Amino acid sequence: MRSKGYYSLVRTLLKENIRQGRIPRGTRLYTAAVADRLALSPPPVRRALDQLMEEGVLVLHPQHGYVVGGTTQEAGQPGRENLHLLDLDLSLLESGKSTPLAPRWETILEEVKQGVLRAIPFGTFQISETGICDHFSVSRTVSREVLARLDTQGHVEKSRSSHWIVGPLSARALDETHEMRRLLEPQALMDAASRVDQKRLLAMRQEIEILRRRDDVLTINEIAGAEAALHRELPGGCRNRRMVANVMNLQIAPVVDDLFREHIGVQDESNLLDEHDIVLAHLIRRDSEGAGQALRRHLDLQHQRTRARLKVLSIFDAPNDLPYLTRIH
Amino acid sequence: MSRPRLRVIARREFVPEPLKAEAARALDIDIVFDVVDTLDGLRRVVTAPETFDVYHQWHTIDLIWTSRAIQPIALDRLTCAAALRAISRPPLNALSPPTVTRKLFLQADGELGSAPSGHVSMLPVLRGVDCFAYQPAVRDLIGADVRESWGWLFDDRLRGHVGLLSDPVLGMIEAALATEASRNISFDDIGNLSIEDIDLVADALIQLKKLGHFRGVWSNYEEAARLMQRGALVQSMFTPGATRLRREKLSVIIASPIEGGRGWHSDLCISSATHGKALDAAYAYLNWWAEGWPSACLSRQGYYAFFPERARSYLEQDEWDYWYDGLPAARALPDPFGEPAIPVGHVREGGSCATRMGRVRVWNTFMDEHTYLVRRWREFLEA
Repeated sequence: MRSKGYYSLVRTLLKENIRQGRIPRGTRLYTAAVADRLALSPPPVRRALDQLMEEGVLVLHPQHGYVVGGTTQEAGQPGRENLHLLDLDLSLLESGKSTPLAPRWETILEEVKQGVLRAIPFGTFQISETGICDHFSVSRTVSREVLARLDTQGHVEKSRSSHWIVGPLSARALDETHEMRRLLEPQALMDAASRVDQKRLLAMRQEIEILRRRDDVLTINEIAGAEAALHRELPGGCRNRRMVANVMNLQIAPVVDDLFREHIGVQDESNLLDEHDIVLAHLIRRDSEGAGQALRRHLDLQHQRTRARLKVLSIFDAPNDLPYLTRIH
Repeated sequence: MSRPRLRVIARREFVPEPLKAEAARALDIDIVFDVVDTLDGLRRVVTAPETFDVYHQWHTIDLIWTSRAIQPIALDRLTCAAALRAISRPPLNALSPPTVTRKLFLQADGELGSAPSGHVSMLPVLRGVDCFAYQPAVRDLIGADVRESWGWLFDDRLRGHVGLLSDPVLGMIEAALATEASRNISFDDIGNLSIEDIDLVADALIQLKKLGHFRGVWSNYEEAARLMQRGALVQSMFTPGATRLRREKLSVIIASPIEGGRGWHSDLCISSATHGKALDAAYAYLNWWAEGWPSACLSRQGYYAFFPERARSYLEQDEWDYWYDGLPAARALPDPFGEPAIPVGHVREGGSCATRMGRVRVWNTFMDEHTYLVRRWREFLEA
């Protein structure tokens, strides 16, 4: 579905509604009216209608628009053309988002961003617009959109020679993101606290307890899982979506921690687990204020650890296997 | 019973052949020395603690502790515990490096700090102050009476005759000293440069390199000596390099620049993976150092024992007078290899140990922005 784009989704939706008789034969379909009825932009609708015409489901009206059925003679009365009067099955479009499918740039943005964040502790890189096109098989437009979004989020910048440049990650960049994160993330957590399912909290605390009791070295994924639950899942329940978007965008430190564990190995993480446990204990007692403070303290302590780890990464040259990133220094 | 085996990683300056031979003789241990001058050694230390027992480190304590590549050293197993404890409350004239005092003792939270405890991260064994060196011909270009200054490294009149060391930690500090002196600015904290400071220094270095200012870069004292033989008139220099050049009759002067020098210390650490007999051997090796013979040996190439009194008993009076008290050499003095290196009557530049160490402006350290620094430094090396 994804690779075909969402005109294909629109085509399927219209075809199904026609088959079920929800859009009767003879209905006059205009691109703009269909787009309005489905709350979509016209281009995919136009493309879907063209395709349905090629398939013989619609015919082109000599004056304007299309007609459902085999011939233009079936075209009904003008009054029938208010599509909002039709009871359509729109379940295909209902994914809770404003657009039925995430646009192409959105799905690769996160992947490119992770690639960038994992590279910048190791130097300065040029990020290639065409490289993104080739790697993800997307158009220049999509590639440009991805870079523009990364630019807005502060992850890339344009050099004087008009190349997109990323990195190197500095201690100051970690300091700056931490400074914002310690304000926003506890705030988001406090807002979300009252709505988190108690069972989920107990399960999270149970998982931390299991990790704390383990004698062997934890895996990178186990720690990353606990960190994602605390720093993404819980604050993600905050109703202020702007704040949540910012909280997610500020999560650079966990990438550094992960890279450190990959290069050096996983160490004793009992401090981290203890700090998690305190946050969860407060949440379980429905003490959101306490949870916020405990989270802030964890972020502060973790920041010092991450900062020290970034210094260790400075002696490594990471292999760069992403074709759209070229090391400059 | 087989003798315990000990694997030591060190730079070549710290383990000359005579020192290795004496270690083999004095200790009932088979010691394998791994001489690594480059970052490879440090990379191996942080990623593979199981491949060594003792790391003779300098200015990397932050990194190796963060990586937990080393284990806490029990003070009650060291013969110099009292001297180490005293580091936590040093008299002012002890000139203790903050890079030792702030990182020495294991704290309750598992990090390093200055509050005394039963365990230390390292055993400091050597210290010194590095400045640049120059050939007398420099005076023809700069002037006979001009005070020695780090600014010489960036001086246009010496274009094509300047050498630097390639290590980013040390190289950036020296380049920062040169930037301050030549541009008449002062950094807020030259031992912890900000991004803007680093950019300023790196931009200056790259510009100079493009103008053909630098003769070359070096990564160990032997390369440093060769670079000067090949025509660098002024360059960074490790004391053993200068000692080597003097032995080979090249006239070289170690500067005592008006801005002060770059201080350093080196320390012994024990691998986090070492245990059992190898751990006992590691403590024996540390205590052998603490006792004074090795630092006395290296005093003959211009280093100072971290605790000088312990080295003193292994030095002749005239050696002590020359190396530590800044007095004229009463006779031709040998280097660590037993070769005559210091001619009769020579006086060490900069004076006594206390005077020279008192002129430390900045200590070697991995700065907070090292990750940024090292990328800019590489840009300079590749320019």
